[in-house]
Parts: sequence; structure tokens; C-alpha cells
Amino acid sequence: MKNQRSISVVAAIALAVGTAVAIAPASNAAARVVTIAYQGPLTGDDAQTGVDELNGVKYAVKLFNAKNKGKYEVKIVEVDDQGSGTESAKVAPGTASNKKIIGVVGPAYSGATIAALPFYKQTGMPMISPSATRVSITDPAQGLIGFPVFHRIPATDAVQGPALYKLATKGVTSPVVYVIDDQSPYSTGLVDYMKKGSGVSIVGTDSVSDKTTDWTATISKITSAKANVVIYTGYYAQAATLFRQLRDAKYTGVLAGGDGVLSNGILTLASTSVLEGVRLTGATVPLSEVSAALETDFKKSMGVSSGTYATETIDATNVFLSCIGKGISTRPNMLKCVKAFKGKSITGLPIQFDKNGDVSGGPMNGFEIKSLQFKFTGAIK
Amino acid sequence: MFILDLSSRGVKILANFQSQFMTLTLGGLSLGFIYVLIALGYTMVYGVLRMINFANSEIFMFGTFAAIIVIRDIFNFTQQSEPATGFRLVFILICALLGSMFLSGIISILLELVAYRRLRNRGANKLAPLISAIGMSIVFAEFVRIITDSRYVGSPRVMEKSSLATFFGADIRLDNTIVVVAGFILYIILQQFVQRTRLGKAIRAVSMNEEAAKLMGVNLNAVISGTFLIGGLMTGAAGFFYILKYENTVFSIGFELGLAAFTAAILGGIGNIKGAFYGGVTLGLLETYASFFLGTQWKAVTVFLVLVIVLYFRPNGVFGEAITQTRA
Repeated sequence: MKNQRSISVVAAIALAVGTAVAIAPASNAAARVVTIAYQGPLTGDDAQTGVDELNGVKYAVKLFNAKNKGKYEVKIVEVDDQGSGTESAKVAPGTASNKKIIGVVGPAYSGATIAALPFYKQTGMPMISPSATRVSITDPAQGLIGFPVFHRIPATDAVQGPALYKLATKGVTSPVVYVIDDQSPYSTGLVDYMKKGSGVSIVGTDSVSDKTTDWTATISKITSAKANVVIYTGYYAQAATLFRQLRDAKYTGVLAGGDGVLSNGILTLASTSVLEGVRLTGATVPLSEVSAALETDFKKSMGVSSGTYATETIDATNVFLSCIGKGISTRPNMLKCVKAFKGKSITGLPIQFDKNGDVSGGPMNGFEIKSLQFKFTGAIK
Repeated sequence: MFILDLSSRGVKILANFQSQFMTLTLGGLSLGFIYVLIALGYTMVYGVLRMINFANSEIFMFGTFAAIIVIRDIFNFTQQSEPATGFRLVFILICALLGSMFLSGIISILLELVAYRRLRNRGANKLAPLISAIGMSIVFAEFVRIITDSRYVGSPRVMEKSSLATFFGADIRLDNTIVVVAGFILYIILQQFVQRTRLGKAIRAVSMNEEAAKLMGVNLNAVISGTFLIGGLMTGAAGFFYILKYENTVFSIGFELGLAAFTAAILGGIGNIKGAFYGGVTLGLLETYASFFLGTQWKAVTVFLVLVIVLYFRPNGVFGEAITQTRA
């Protein structure tokens, strides 16, 4: 009798487990699996930017998948272009030919975007970049090279160049400005747009390789020019060495840089005494500024604080997710959906792409490094 | 009008050069001494084997990482730490220097065993070790690239870069002084070592005539290993000085600095210790002056143009084979 009861209990448990197992795949099978990709620098000098952005994509997808459990399951393919055009041209063909992928968040950088465009245009891959700001990609006067697949959330370098000058010289009596670029198209482009700004006066410029480690000659030129504002338009790794050597040479003026320097990576490469007060621009709003609760949830969900361009990456991903939520599952339909998209950023500002792929009216914001942290100083006016 | 504008710009640059001359010279000298030490790594091996050690650039790269590991992980410095002073600073600097020299020296010996010795013993032609050294160079760089995620690695500041004195308007900074003085001392030690010690004499003997040296009882393998060790120690020291001055590194740093130091060795006369010294110092100064006068974008053009002109008139470098007694 006791044995019979034991057998019955075991049989009941087995039935219950069996039913649960049988039901579970049935509910997963009902969920439509859709794949999007993130492309950016996940290794290399600028990996921090890519890792931060990828976390933004993962966070948005995680929320979407949880909300649409059983209905949709969005998967992410990670594409590492190391932030370089050369690498991007190697990895983009594979992404373009992967028919499961119906949209790309990214690329993070403009050079990588331009290198990837021929492959994505050929296969009609919709792209939404959270941080590629080069003007030429969406400028009809320069060939409109991104059309029709490219879209972006942030304002362009045409806005950033003059804004960087404005931020760097803010509050400086008789500013004497020296500008250094790293010979990359992003960096030289930023300088060109800066020079087009009204009331811009630059005492000297230098164009150095992005592998420069010794800045003695450049610093001597800055000293000779008696500059009290130095603007570097390259990326953070070189900016750290330049800023450190400038401070070592007793330069006490303003140090400033564009969004290429606005990366958590710089905070690990120089000390507080070097970086304190460095002014930076970025077409981004920190997630913590959007909402403290959102930042807390992000940290809880991802295990790390949000990084640069997290807000714009979440916005870009949300555009795709909104379309997926409407049942879109092919590239042509996704492209149509993105072009017709009318919605809101998590900042509350409207998102609607113009015919060239830009969102008009995006702000350019200022940041200042305080105690090895980026302090948001608001829109540059 | 254009000529007037050009000449007034020229006058302005010259006036600025006068005021910045000492600053540029001191900066160029300290960069030059880093080149000297790496160039010695190339020159020692070339002097004995008549082959370029293409992996020397990665030996340098390991030296830079070793210095950071000692400063950051052994002495627990962070970007927020206060710089060390007094005897503690001296102790940390010596430990970091020895750490860099030790790691680079050991890897250099291993490199000789793996990439050169077996091929040499089996009578491989001259190209085989060259390719195996390039292969090892790629393996080293990729290994570090993978474990560092290709990222720049910063070194916390261990020493306040204070000014010791002012000389013709230029600050004589502690870090530059250490690089120049210690670099010069290491160069003198190496020169005396090669001139006066038993191993040094054996190195010179092998360098002049390998077969005759063997017949005289010189242990060829020991001499070659010793040469790689010495070259590695010098290059490792350069890695430490680089970190002291520039405070960050990356897996590809060896390529940039290695190419410059190799150019310096060729300029002075590869295989010649004195040549490496003058080549390194000249290159450091030339790069700095050219960047100031012509713009940094013209630095590489100027350097290689000068190299081509020098080699046109002196195909074996400035010192070439003329100073055989100091050739490694």
C-alpha cells in the first residue's frame, strides 16, 4: 500500500513536470524570434564607447523581451568594427549577408559607417546610429552617401564644431585658442565646422598622427602662441597623453575636446589633477540626467552604470523595437517603418527622421570632468 | 604679397624657436634616449648574428607593461594616489626598472631559443629566423592585444614631474632628467661591458669572425644567448623610461617606437653601439625640431628624407663599420 502510494506520488510529480516541460517549449515556439545587430568598437582603443553602447542595446532589448514574453523574442548580434573603417569593411559584408538581421544599431563611428554603407545599402539594411555625427553621411551637398538606409539620433558635427568652440571659450577673458586634430576625417571635419562658426578666432593649429605619444613640439607651439584654450578634436586615448603632457608643462588654461574624448576610457588614463575641469561636448544626454530611476534600473539590470551615448542607443534600439512590436520581420518593411517613425525619445524630445536620415533639433550638450567623473553641464547655447 | 607673408611667418617661427629651443632640445633628448636603448637591442643582435631581431619591438612592449604591473599592482598605485617621494620613490623606480629589464630580458632569451637557435643549429638559411622572429613578434603583440582587449593601459603617476631648475627659459624636469641620465649611464655600462668583460670580448669576437671565435673556444650558443639577454635588458629599460615619461601603453606601442628606434640604429650604423647612441639622440631631436618647424604632420616625411639622404652618402649609416672595436 505504502509502495503503491509512493508510486502514485512519483507518477503525479512526473506528470506535472512533464506537462510543464511540454508547455514551456510550446510558449517559446509561439514567440517570434527577430534579430537585430549592434555594430561598434567592442575591442581596440575605443572599445569603451562600443561596450557602453552595446549595454544600451541590451538594456532596451531586455525590457522589450520581458514585456513581450511569448510574443516576440529579440536577439542581438554583436559586430565589432574596432571603430575603424578598415575593420568595418571586413565585418559589414558578413552582417549584411546574414538574412536574420533586419536592422543595425550603429555603427558607432562615422568612418566605420562610411566603410559599411556599400554593403548595407546593397542589401537594404536599415541603420540607426546613436553616435555617428559626420555631416557628409546625410548631407545632400556631399552626395547623401547614407541614403536610403542610414539614420541617426544625435546632432551632427556641423552643430558640434561651433558648440565646442563656444563651450571651450565660455567665461575665458580674451581667449587665445589653439586647435589640434588627429588627422582623421572626424577630427579634421570637426575643425572645419568649428572654423565656420561665427566669431571664431584660432591662433594656431596642429595636425598630428593619432599614434602620437610625444607632444613636446606641439606644446612648444602652444606655449609660443600664449594660448589659454586648447581644443583637441581627436579621441580619448591621445587626448589623455596630450592633456597630461600639457599640465606637466605647466599649462594652466582650458582643455577641451569633442565627443571623441567623451568616453569613460579617458578616466582611467590620467589622474584627477590632469583631467579636472576638462570641457567636452557630446550630442548625448546622460541616462542619469534623463531619470535617476532609469539609471538605477539600468545599473540593476546590466550590472554597470550607463555609459556615453546610452540614451541615444536606447532610443535607436527602441525605434527598431517599436517596429518589431508592430509585427515587422523583414528588412524592406523595417526600412519603411523606420522612415515613417514618429515617436519620442526617452528624454521626451520627438524622434522623426527627415528624408536624409537626421532627427532635426537635437541638442549639443556640454560636460565637465569633476573628480574623474563626467558632469553634465547642459545644452550649449 | 605671398612671399612677404611667408617670410614674416618664417621670422615668427624662428623667433618662437629661439624662445622654445631648450624646451624642444630637452624633450627631444629624453625621447632620443628611449630610442637609444631600443636601438641598442637591435644593434647587439645584429652585431652578432647579422640579422634583424624584428621581435625587439615587442620586447620593448613587454617592458612597458612590466613597469605598469610593478607600479599599479605591486605598489598599488591608482590614478588618485599621491605620487611617492624620497627613498620610497627611489625604491619603487628601481623595482619598476628592474621588473621591466627582467621581463624583457627573459622573453628575449626565450625568443632566441624558440625563433633562432634551433633554426641556426639545423643550418637554416638566413631568411628562416627572420620570418620566425616576425612570427614571434606577431604572437607577442596579439597575445597582449587579446588579454588587454586592445585597450590603452594607463600607468598611475608614481612621481611628481617637478622642475629641478630652469635653463635658458626651459624647465629641467625630473622625469626627463632621469631618462637622460639613467639612459646615458646604461649606455656607458654597456659600452664598458662589451669592451672589458670576458663575455663582452667573446661577443666582439663572434661579431668579427664567428668561425675563428669558435675555433678559439668561444661557446657560440652562450654568447648569442648573452647578447639577446643584454639587448633585452636595454630594451626593457627603455620600456620603463617610456612609462615614466608617457604613463600609458598599448599592445601596438612596440611597432611605433620600434620602427623609430630601428631607423635610429640604421641612421647611426646598425651593429655599432656608438651608432645606436648617436642615431637615437639625433632622431629624437630631429623629430622634435621638424614637428615644431614644419608641423607635426611633416615629422615622418622629414625623418625618412634625412635617412635616405644619409644612406645615399653613407650606405652603412653615419658610423657604419668605422668603429669596429666598439661594434657588438
